[in-house]
Amino acid sequence: MSADRFGDLDDVDIEERLRLFARNSRTPPLPEEIQALPWTVQLEQRPRRILGFLPDAWFSLDSLRSPALAVMRLAATLAVAVAFVALVTQARSRTGSADYLLAPPSPGASVPGVPGAAGAAPEVVLVPTSGVVDDVMADHVAGAIRKAESDKAAVVVIQLDTLGGSGAAMQRIVESLYADVPTIVWVGPSGAKAASAGTFITLAANLAYMAPSTNIGAASPVAANGSDLASVYGQTEADKVMQDAIATITGIAQHRHPLAVAWAVSTVQSARSYSAQDALDAHAVNGLASSVNDVLSQVDGQTVTTTAGETVIHVKDANVVTVNEDAFQAILHTLDDPNIAFMLLVIGVLCVLVEFFHPTLLVGLTGALALALSFYGSGSLPLNILGVVLVVLGIVMVVLETGVPSHGLLTAAGLVIFLVGAVAFYGSPGPYRPDVSVAWPIIVTMTVLAALYGLVLVRTLMSMRRLAVPAGSGMVGTVNPIGEGGEVQADLSPLGTVFVCGESWTARAADGRSLPRGTMVRVIRQEGLTLVVEAAGTPERAAQ
Amino acid sequence: MFVKEAYLPARPAPAPGEAAETGRAIDAVFVTALEAELGMAYRLAGYLLADSAEAQDAVQEASVRAWRGWPRLRERDRFHAWFSQILVNVCRTRLRQRSRRRTVDVDEVDLEGGDPFRASLARDAVGRALSVLSDELRIVVIMRFWGDMPLAEIAERLGIPVGTVKSRLHAAMQALRRRIGPMEGGIA
Repeated sequence: MSADRFGDLDDVDIEERLRLFARNSRTPPLPEEIQALPWTVQLEQRPRRILGFLPDAWFSLDSLRSPALAVMRLAATLAVAVAFVALVTQARSRTGSADYLLAPPSPGASVPGVPGAAGAAPEVVLVPTSGVVDDVMADHVAGAIRKAESDKAAVVVIQLDTLGGSGAAMQRIVESLYADVPTIVWVGPSGAKAASAGTFITLAANLAYMAPSTNIGAASPVAANGSDLASVYGQTEADKVMQDAIATITGIAQHRHPLAVAWAVSTVQSARSYSAQDALDAHAVNGLASSVNDVLSQVDGQTVTTTAGETVIHVKDANVVTVNEDAFQAILHTLDDPNIAFMLLVIGVLCVLVEFFHPTLLVGLTGALALALSFYGSGSLPLNILGVVLVVLGIVMVVLETGVPSHGLLTAAGLVIFLVGAVAFYGSPGPYRPDVSVAWPIIVTMTVLAALYGLVLVRTLMSMRRLAVPAGSGMVGTVNPIGEGGEVQADLSPLGTVFVCGESWTARAADGRSLPRGTMVRVIRQEGLTLVVEAAGTPERAAQ
Repeated sequence: MFVKEAYLPARPAPAPGEAAETGRAIDAVFVTALEAELGMAYRLAGYLLADSAEAQDAVQEASVRAWRGWPRLRERDRFHAWFSQILVNVCRTRLRQRSRRRTVDVDEVDLEGGDPFRASLARDAVGRALSVLSDELRIVVIMRFWGDMPLAEIAERLGIPVGTVKSRLHAAMQALRRRIGPMEGGIA
């Protein structure tokens, strides 16, 4: 600090001072191993291994701590997963339907009766459906109807049991029902529902039958004396979607029977649900049928108008061919299950967050895939945005426990938020949307799992934090160096550096004297980040 | 990308025939020329990076680059200029990388830590104040005063006009004066 006595300085002074200072600053010797020329320089030949880059990739992933990079990596992972799902969906719509499962390569060559030739037994195509009305169901139904048309089947019977689903998919099914082949919807077996979007589908078929003790109409039936409620519901919900739905169902119902129109509108506008007998009385369906055979015996001989013109149905001694979803459709259809969409979201968010804190490609990829599948599945479900946000927030809070020491408070709060979000995960059904919610056992299971995760996390972290401070090591603010011995590193004149507890501290001598480098000292007290020391006896100048 | 370069120091120079698999033997002209540069190179890199370990790495990296470029160097009497250019480039790259990954200003926090260069700089207020300069300004100051280079040489090494060197020096002086002015008279 000897040069600190200059007064006002101009450029020249500063330059002069720099020159002096630079001239007087020496250069430490270059270490032997660097000075000892020459080196040999070798390009290391890496053995060519398949997947040999993996350890490198692993290492580099591990060393990428910067949040920006983590976010970019996550985005890339998400993009890959979304691209994968898009590809799969695309591939599915290419193959389109279940055709190839049933139609042999040379159609009609080996299956008798398929071309519908006179004398051969007529063919009835039975299409069993269940679950949410979604694109998978639309593909399935449309594909089966196309097959029936090309096979010249006598009729297509769609067995329906649904709580509703996506309006767009419903529209596709309704359109495919106007076909060259007579279409029949049978709501069955007993206990089945044709709710929300299912009502539209039922009414759109050429002929509709319901099994006894089945329901048709809105997803959420109003109370018996609920006329007030119905009118209130009608007013508050009279938005564009509702108007559009009313227009759609009016068009569909007019095809069926003029008397059915008012009835059909009431299922949408007042959210009313009707029994099979009510629907029959309202001319909304053509009859009650307890089984597919019952349906066939009732439709035999009836005349219907298809896009090919008036057709008389002949299904005596018909050969019933069942067109099921193919395995892939079945899997995709399962994604629409409200519980599965929920679980996929939870798993996805959890994995993505874990990936964020502990980067391993696999977990992130799994999470992104689960998220993408969850989004795909929930496309036909009435997601409640608030519920989704709460669920995600809850998970984030539980995982944040890793980074923010809160002694489990974050986990507890996160769990409560998660629980609330899970209960409110699905919102009010629209005209098409099903009335669904996440099953209680699943909510409880997921919450308990999240709680366990949080507990393990907290316990592990606590033990790690205990381990992280071994006795005597000098973490600033945690270890008290008072009483410890040390050595002067830079002269105390009066301020300098001492080496105590394995690290350098700024220090001054207690009596204000200057102590030279190498003096052994003892720490008396700490003032902020400065240690006050006294000479500890040994060397030459230690007088005290 | 995955080919790692390994710098293996302190190996005896391979005999001419023996060196076949490593490419070529290191010739004596190169060794002599480089040895003459090392001291100044270490000084420059050390004061520029204020970190002896990193300075050693920089010197080594520059040496390796020089060795690899040696066959392409036509005018061997210009070795000094050529090598210091390489060294400056290496140091600038390191400064840039460091500013990207460093979060705590080491120069501020740990002025009198164990590193000889940092300790040496910390002896004087003007040395401590160097850390406030931007990398581009500091490199000019270090080359000028610690490297004792004339302005023209600095300009050539950095690939900038002499006028720019002058203006950067001036800007650096002003910044240093602003920094030191209020601290004068007391113990920093």
